[in-house]
Formats: sequence, C-alpha cells, structure tokens
Amino acid sequence: MVAGTAGSENREAEISEDRRREFESEALPHLDALFGLALRLTGGDEPRSEDLVQDAMLKAWRSWDRFESGTNCRAWLMTILRNGFINSYRRDRSGPVKVEFEEVAEGHGSGSLYEADPEGRVFDRLVNEHVLRAIEELPEEFRVPVVLADIEGMGYQEVAQTMGIPVGTVKSRLFRGRKRLQVSLHRFAIESGYLP
Amino acid sequence: MNDQERPESLGPGGPEPEELSCEESLALVYEFLDGELPAERNEAVRRHVQKCRRCYPHFDFERIFLDYLHDSGRPVRASPDLERRIRALIAEDEA
Repeated sequence: MVAGTAGSENREAEISEDRRREFESEALPHLDALFGLALRLTGGDEPRSEDLVQDAMLKAWRSWDRFESGTNCRAWLMTILRNGFINSYRRDRSGPVKVEFEEVAEGHGSGSLYEADPEGRVFDRLVNEHVLRAIEELPEEFRVPVVLADIEGMGYQEVAQTMGIPVGTVKSRLFRGRKRLQVSLHRFAIESGYLP
Repeated sequence: MNDQERPESLGPGGPEPEELSCEESLALVYEFLDGELPAERNEAVRRHVQKCRRCYPHFDFERIFLDYLHDSGRPVRASPDLERRIRALIAEDEA
C-alpha cells in the first residue's frame, strides 16, 4: 500500500468518525421522545416500540447525509419512525380494521361522555392504561395526529409536516379522533363502574 | 336545544364585532383550546363562550379532557440497553 492511500484512508476514517459523533449528539437525545411516540402508536407494546425506534435510528443514520443541519431533527426522526410504524401496521393488518368501531357515533349527542359527566370528574379516575387502550382503538388516520398533538405536544403545522398532510386535514382528524377517544373513554368508565 | 341560537347581545351600540353561534363556536373548540386560531377568530370564540351559559361548560369539559390526555403522555425513558444497542448497530453499520 502506498503512503498516499493510507493517508486518504485515515482521512476517510476521521470523516466517518465525525459523522458518527455528529449523528449521536444530534439524534440520540431524541431517543426518549421517539420511544414515547412508539409506545403510544403501538398502544403500549414495549418490544415492538423498541424495534420501531431501533429501525428508525438505523434508517436515520443511513440517511444522515440528507438531513439538513439546523432543521428540526426531532420532527425528521419522528417522520421516519411514523413511516416505519405505518408500513408495519399495514403489513400486519391487511383488510378492514375494527369496523365495529367505525360505526360508533361521534360528537356530543345524547349518551356522550359530556352528557354523562359534564364536569369531567371521571378523568380523575381513568388511568393511563385507559388512554393507551382508547388510542390503540383509534383507526390509524386518527391515532397518529392525536398522538402527535396531544401526547407529543406538536402544533398543527408540525403535525401536518410530520404526516405529510394539509393543516386542514390535521384539524378535522384531530377533532374526530378526540371525539372517538371520548366515546371509548365513556365505555371504559361504564365498564369500570365509574359511570352508570 | 337550538344550536343556532346566538347569545344575548350586550346591548345597542356601534357596529358589533363578529358574533358566532353556539354551533360555530363548538366547531372551533379544539382550535381555540389548542391556541391555533387567528387572533380575531380567537377573540370571537372567547367572547361567545364568556357570554354563553350553554357553551361555557362544554369548553370547560374539553379543556379538562385535553389536559387529561396531555398528562397521560408524561415523558417515558427509553431503556439504557436500547441506547447501547443503537450505538452498537451504528458502529457496526459504519464498519
């Protein structure tokens, strides 16, 4: 091997090392947020959530050259994780999903949680597990914006950017998704004996 | 209940700012509570809810619901083992 080649190999190794350090310092701090998102998207399935995070991080690392430094790294990682989740979701569940739930009425009609408990006292009794179950029951198109906005605390614009859908669609899906959550929570409250 | 009913006006005066019906206000409840409405719309909803005895408890209920949802998402910690695995994967992928 000639000296010049060895030198350029060393230089390449240095660049590669810098690139890895940069990735680790920019992307790894978002690990908890990614895991939290995965946990909500999967309805609390820890092993599956860890797999999703691991796959997303590996994908992010392989596309790191395409990430523009200074832009929103968290949103970028979330998008990768969300895409991975949606792909696996579609693979795992072919055919109609939870059709019976699609037929559940939304809104503040008669028999709604609001009518049963206008002061929202039941929320003090329903626990985290109920929310996770209610979120798990949401069809994917409602679940993802609800998780991003209500659990991850994103604004409408960021949800739209992450999901690649218009802001108007985010608004309507959030509205309907939240109403559906109330329907599920109402059911859990009745099942648990908190409401008649 | 007539959702189209408008709250009582505060009285005669100059040109009134935008008045929303109950139905219009309720349709905007989440955008209002999420702080996503343009200033003028936001003000119109706030005015309606302040005056409307029917909508006020509705908005209050939705606010409690959203707080509850948000609190349910308290931060979780990924296991140190997951971080180790990811670092190892990246190092391996690089090689």
